[in-house]
Amino acid sequence: MSFELDRIGLIHSNGQAQGQRALRAVSISAARGERLAIIGPSGAGKTTLLRILATSIRPTEGRVSVLGTNPWQLSSRELRRLRSGVGFIHQAPPIPPRQRVITAVIAGRLGQWPWWKSALSLIYPADIAGPREQLARLDLADRLFDRCDRLSGGQLQRVGVARVLYQRPDLLLADEPVSAMDPALADLTVGQLHAEAQSRGVTLVASLHAVDIALRWFPRVIGLKAGELVFDLPPAKVSESVLRDLYASETGVLPSQDNQPFHASFEGYATDDTPGGSGQVPLAPPRVI
Amino acid sequence: MGFCLQCWLTLLLLALLVWASFAYLALDLSRLFSLESGRGMLQFILRFFPPDTSAQFLRKIAGATLETLAISAIGTLLAAGAGLLLALPAAGRLGPVFKALTRFLLNALRSVPELVWAALMVLAAGLGPFAGTLALALHTSGVLGRLYAESLENAPPEPAQSLVESGAPPALAFGYATLPLIAPQLLSYSLYRWEMNIRMATVLGFVGAGGLGQMLYYELSLLHEAQASSVIFAMLALVVFVDAASAWVRRRQMRAGG
Repeated sequence: MSFELDRIGLIHSNGQAQGQRALRAVSISAARGERLAIIGPSGAGKTTLLRILATSIRPTEGRVSVLGTNPWQLSSRELRRLRSGVGFIHQAPPIPPRQRVITAVIAGRLGQWPWWKSALSLIYPADIAGPREQLARLDLADRLFDRCDRLSGGQLQRVGVARVLYQRPDLLLADEPVSAMDPALADLTVGQLHAEAQSRGVTLVASLHAVDIALRWFPRVIGLKAGELVFDLPPAKVSESVLRDLYASETGVLPSQDNQPFHASFEGYATDDTPGGSGQVPLAPPRVI
Repeated sequence: MGFCLQCWLTLLLLALLVWASFAYLALDLSRLFSLESGRGMLQFILRFFPPDTSAQFLRKIAGATLETLAISAIGTLLAAGAGLLLALPAAGRLGPVFKALTRFLLNALRSVPELVWAALMVLAAGLGPFAGTLALALHTSGVLGRLYAESLENAPPEPAQSLVESGAPPALAFGYATLPLIAPQLLSYSLYRWEMNIRMATVLGFVGAGGLGQMLYYELSLLHEAQASSVIFAMLALVVFVDAASAWVRRRQMRAGG
């Protein structure tokens, strides 16, 4: 079993959303090597669910098991070891703007390398071929020694993906990993995530706003709405009407990779990869179905 | 109309205070502007010219200038190290108790002026550049520690948090994620303080803490006006040079930091 969520619920305990319920009685489990997509309207709890799997937040109800253990019963040393096996791709990669691409990728191995190797790599990278190989998979090998603030939003997002690929985790989590990329690059990136999961037999869980990518690539699609599990189906069974139900409250059109504008959220340096934004069709006004 | 009782009363009060101050200090302004005192001043100034430009004395000045620069550089470097070490607890990284304690320590270091530190250090470590270096390091640690702590507190936590959540030890997450975020700010704070410390180091010598200041104090005490004026010119040149150099560095930094 790669992970198991048993009737988990979460009520935010602090911050702006204090007292708000983000998840209610969600039960999902996945065997090693499974590939799951999580779809649903914004605010459905996709990111919260992934962050619970990443052991970065603790659910207020229910039981969590990640890679065979309950992360909230571990000592800090054991928790660190568990976390080095869990990779999380952020929608807005939290990478310092002035950092070089290679250093940002190497940071994926900090949980596995001896500390002196990591510390020396701040001055001179201990591994150059490894990061280059991961970047090459995402068509970014030529930016190895560039500074991250010289990259576009879509390129930065791929650096974030390369970091997690370089980490070689047993559980690969991705929160909107291709939201700043044009359809072709999004396909390439999702394809590489699948190749990684299949070749090493690791589990992949990705939240996606683009329904078309979820249905095209993932053997298992999970629908989340208002913090509750709506469906957990193979893509062939995800019909148009199921999807319309899921997104009913948002807009009339189903979100796909090429019609959803990207909203940068981290420090505002992310920009769209689509040249001039010309590939974007504006969202249709909401209509009642 | 233009009349305002309160304003007039305030002005009257001010005038009264000024007059009372003069009376209390027994200052006679008329004497300052008299012809006789003008002549006295001119004579006094003329005694400083021409400055002593003998090769031997210039060599001594060059040595003292170098000493001043070295005092400020090492003092600032020590302070940057200590400041970074103190900034971590002061930014609350080790809990609220350590935060309060280090904040208090930083305030104490900062609120004692460099000159007072220098006087204390001369007593503790003896006359000479070592006392000056310690004095600058102590005061500047307080200043830089506080500024560094503020940068740390304002740095977004997400980059380091994401590394910790992929199993990185906290110290390495700090090095890989937080430090690159705040490094430019720390560098510009440190350079700015260094610039101030060079100016300060020229004065510290007055209490016996080495450098140009000590030389100036020595020559003035012996009423060697010509030598003293050479030292004063050297101080001026040093400050002008440092101002120009720091402006140049800042321009470069601005261009590099896109």
